[in-house]
Amino acid sequence: MTTVADEGRPSGRAETMGVWFAVKETLRKPQFWFGFTMILPLLIWYWIFSFGPIIQAFRMSTVAYKLLDPGNSPFVGLGNFIKISQHPLFWVSVKNTILWAVYSFVFHLPLAMLIAVCLSKVKRGRNVYQALIFVPVVVSLVAVSLLFKMLMDPEVGQLNKLFSSVGLPELQWLSSSSSALPTAVVIATWKGLGFFVVILTAGMLNIPSELYDAGLVDGTNPWQQFWLITMPLMSHTILLVTVLLAIGSLQEFTLPTVLFGSEGGPGNSTFLYNLLVYQEAFLDIRFGTATAASLFQFAFILTISILQIKLLRPSWTY
Amino acid sequence: MAVIGKTGPARRQPPRRIDISQSILQIFLLGMVVVAIFPFIWMVFASLKPFKELVESRQLLPETWTLRNYDEILGRVNFYAAFRNSIVSAVSVTVVSVYTSSVMGYIFSKYRFAGKEVLFTIVLSTMMVPFAVIMVPLYITIANSFGLADDLGGIIVTGFYTAFGIFLMRQFMESIPFELIDAARIDGASEWRIFFTLVLPMSMSPMSALAVFVFLVNWDSFLWPLIVLSSQDKQTLPLVLAGLRNLWWTRYEMWAAGSMLTVAPVMLIYSIASRYFIRGIAMTGLKA
Repeated sequence: MTTVADEGRPSGRAETMGVWFAVKETLRKPQFWFGFTMILPLLIWYWIFSFGPIIQAFRMSTVAYKLLDPGNSPFVGLGNFIKISQHPLFWVSVKNTILWAVYSFVFHLPLAMLIAVCLSKVKRGRNVYQALIFVPVVVSLVAVSLLFKMLMDPEVGQLNKLFSSVGLPELQWLSSSSSALPTAVVIATWKGLGFFVVILTAGMLNIPSELYDAGLVDGTNPWQQFWLITMPLMSHTILLVTVLLAIGSLQEFTLPTVLFGSEGGPGNSTFLYNLLVYQEAFLDIRFGTATAASLFQFAFILTISILQIKLLRPSWTY
Repeated sequence: MAVIGKTGPARRQPPRRIDISQSILQIFLLGMVVVAIFPFIWMVFASLKPFKELVESRQLLPETWTLRNYDEILGRVNFYAAFRNSIVSAVSVTVVSVYTSSVMGYIFSKYRFAGKEVLFTIVLSTMMVPFAVIMVPLYITIANSFGLADDLGGIIVTGFYTAFGIFLMRQFMESIPFELIDAARIDGASEWRIFFTLVLPMSMSPMSALAVFVFLVNWDSFLWPLIVLSSQDKQTLPLVLAGLRNLWWTRYEMWAAGSMLTVAPVMLIYSIASRYFIRGIAMTGLKA
């Protein structure tokens, strides 16, 4: 093992001197000791709090976990996976989670793109607008959930008061099983939009202005500019945003829990997959089936991430 | 009159047209800002209204201004303890993880050793594992091996390293020239000294972005504290705030007051550091 800080300089000397000499040489280097004392805690910490639990999760998913005597938990093979897929709310939660992800995509992306285009074109006050549109992102999600639960109260909420004063029908918002899920995603969108706006705006400002200049010479109108220059060059960033949205939606927990409690909303309409895992693990104390359920989720997210990496190789350059 | 300046004649358009489209953009963005900000403004005033007025009135401003909501909520719920718990956990996680991220970012970008790329890939790949997978084994580790169940320490130690932070700092430190570090070595500076007096001061900007990010994520963290912390006096602000739902069913003025107490410190930090924060997010978007 050689610890050489100056990359680019040939380190051929070490190879000709034999292994022992190389080790001795390495141990004398201050870089080695600095690197070693820094990497060691990293390895220990990651082993205890990250890799260890991941490996343990795989093991735990194959046993009927005994809380008081974990060493003697009987091996059940794929039993936990079968058991969780037969849970009465398993498919409900899968359907809700996919719906959540789809709504999330539909609500977030077009609006975030529109705002990002406007931000990238506006000449004055871009940073101020961006900072203010970003405010909901930094505010505690629990506070946001309570805030919208107040605003959306069907009887006394301000939104229905506003609607009735301009002649629109009053809505049930979070209280009916048909509108609870989309309404919850609207809240999630309001909360998360600023994050994606910032990413998309940064991507758009990164497109060299020469391309737009060339477009203007060719006589493009703003509509063509958007579809022929901005969109193709933004495909990378848009894909990133899509994947972040998908992964985020699949792991949604706080918002539905605070809005509806861990029961899953009217008619289980907002019972998401992570609520199932949480309920299984910490309310019903079935650790084996809970980890099995979480591994399904892991497989799904892994597939998406691999697809992203495969798709993310851009076929063009500026 | 639109400024055309250095971009040359290709950008030139009839100035009037530009003015109109610019004002449309301004109006649209202003509308979006109102949508983003207005609910908070409503909440500020809602927390200062008595219950009856809150549910009946359509006015934004209170007719009777009152601080009784805050008085009552601070009397009934131990917000001071929750506040202290949140501060202790979020600050310690932020300080430690920004430090570890910087050190590891430095080592991963400027050192060469066998297995570096593999180690870096493994560290990053833990980001892909959903939290649901490790929450049960992690809880068992925390509770059984460390005895930190229902202890603030349980949510602190798990935050000491962040793969995202290591990634962010490495991306930045790639841009520090090797020559600078070598020059310091030739001058006889120790590795520690190079790191603390040369590399760290140069990295203040991404470090502050990361610090704000880590702080807010931890301040807002819900699921993991929900699992680890069970007794009332150990809970952090988001848990206590979520508990208001059960304590005061539809006492909205209490919800508003509680939310204000939770949101205020975050707003304060954001108003000071919003620039760093947004720059940090934009940077990850461009580099990912």
